[in-house]
Amino acid sequence: MSRIKALLYSIFDNNWSHFLLAMTEKEIRVRYKYALLGFLWIIINPLLQMAIIGFVFQFFIPVNIDNYFLFLFTGLLPWNFFAMSIQKTTPILVHERSLIKKSEFPKEVIVFSVILSNLFHLLISLGLLAILLIVDKLFFQDFSVLETIYYSIRMLLALPILIMFSFFVSGLSLFTSALNVKYRDIAFIVSALTPVLFYATPVVYTLDLLPESLHLLFYLNPLTFFIEALRAIFLNTQITSIPLSMLSLITASLIVLIGYRVFKHESPYFDDWI
Amino acid sequence: MKRKRIVIELKNISKTYVLRDEKPTLIEAFFKTKKNTYRSLNKINLKIKKGEKVGIIGPNGSGKTTLLKILAGITKAEGKMKRIGKTVSLIDLEAGFYSDLTGHENILLNGLIIGMSKKEIEEKYDEIINFADIGEFIHSPMYTYSSGMKLRLGFSVVTHSDPDILLLDESLSVGDQDFREKSFSRIKEFFNMGKTVIIVSHYMRFMKLSCDRVIWIENGSIKMDGPAKKIIDAYEKNAQENLKL
Repeated sequence: MSRIKALLYSIFDNNWSHFLLAMTEKEIRVRYKYALLGFLWIIINPLLQMAIIGFVFQFFIPVNIDNYFLFLFTGLLPWNFFAMSIQKTTPILVHERSLIKKSEFPKEVIVFSVILSNLFHLLISLGLLAILLIVDKLFFQDFSVLETIYYSIRMLLALPILIMFSFFVSGLSLFTSALNVKYRDIAFIVSALTPVLFYATPVVYTLDLLPESLHLLFYLNPLTFFIEALRAIFLNTQITSIPLSMLSLITASLIVLIGYRVFKHESPYFDDWI
Repeated sequence: MKRKRIVIELKNISKTYVLRDEKPTLIEAFFKTKKNTYRSLNKINLKIKKGEKVGIIGPNGSGKTTLLKILAGITKAEGKMKRIGKTVSLIDLEAGFYSDLTGHENILLNGLIIGMSKKEIEEKYDEIINFADIGEFIHSPMYTYSSGMKLRLGFSVVTHSDPDILLLDESLSVGDQDFREKSFSRIKEFFNMGKTVIIVSHYMRFMKLSCDRVIWIENGSIKMDGPAKKIIDAYEKNAQENLKL
């Protein structure tokens, strides 16, 4: 791990990248420093969620999806990345006021460090999931070696998807965190809307269960595409509509653009408001 | 003699704050269209040359700290500002420390945020710790530190960052006797190194001794600007007269 760290510091060799890396390291470290089970929490959390939600949707309101628990788990990981990032970043500039009052530096580092540390966790849990799936294919599902290799390599497609996903979450975080400096109720609005968005995203269900006329509406939510794409890569499921997925990417790009502009415009004045 | 380069130039710098009651909210912004504003600085014009030691004086609320924040780049104002060289401020010494991290980890973060490079921090690491005099606590989490220790560490990091322009705000007068003397002598070193120093303080005696130039600010404007002794004498005379009235 320390070798990866050293490598990262040498690739991104300028002061603000170093600052970003150090802040990310701090984020990761602070979170687990005093936790008994340490890094295990990365996995325990979504497993518990999966068990609870899976229980409800299997036994009380049965959803007809193969391997429902696996389906759920693969959706919950990216969802948690999104939800945890946005909830943490929105009020963060107010929490980190002492940094902002200290010196002149690119304030977006504060937001990015949270997202990078969450991405680090997502990569670990997706990595473990991938290993599990490969073992399953090879030993229990009678995949030939060649088929398994193909399946494993195909999983690398997840990386560009995760990069785009991170850009989207960063853009939205820049937007909400910058606005929250001036309007403190943004954090409450975000907290209130997150569970709504959870059910507006195909995490616990698939889009096939809905009338086709609604698909367009669901694809306006970039999360729909990111979660469907990751599922398609890991679980070989279908993306409901590839043309409509473009809509997700367009909304995501718009959000990134607007978020970045708003943040850049507001950040020199953060000190006046906190 | 070579003319000294101008390292700071302010043109028509004004700063207006929006007055708010408690927390600003979005809901409020929709309903309240009229904003109460407060003009903290009003059309400041200023040139500071390389190596100059400038004191800023004025009554409380006159805009001294706002001016310092603008110079530090912490906030932005209307008007034009030019600044050449690495600028570091000693405005809030304890700021930017994370209490869950150790002193060692905090030194890296604190150094990076004021613009030091990782290499520079590693090179000066021992010096920083020695000056801060926190001994074995360096690998303990920051919440175990006394406020004096945090102060010393903050001061130590900033003053080891080799700035071209150093901005100081009252921080000289905090800490115990021992630390005050130590920090005074450290700051005097900066004065002797030919660095540009801008200092906001009520320590008139210190300013008279160590500043070349003093700027008197009142109600957001420069009232007087000139040689330290002349301005401070005028300022003190004015203060005494106000007292009599």
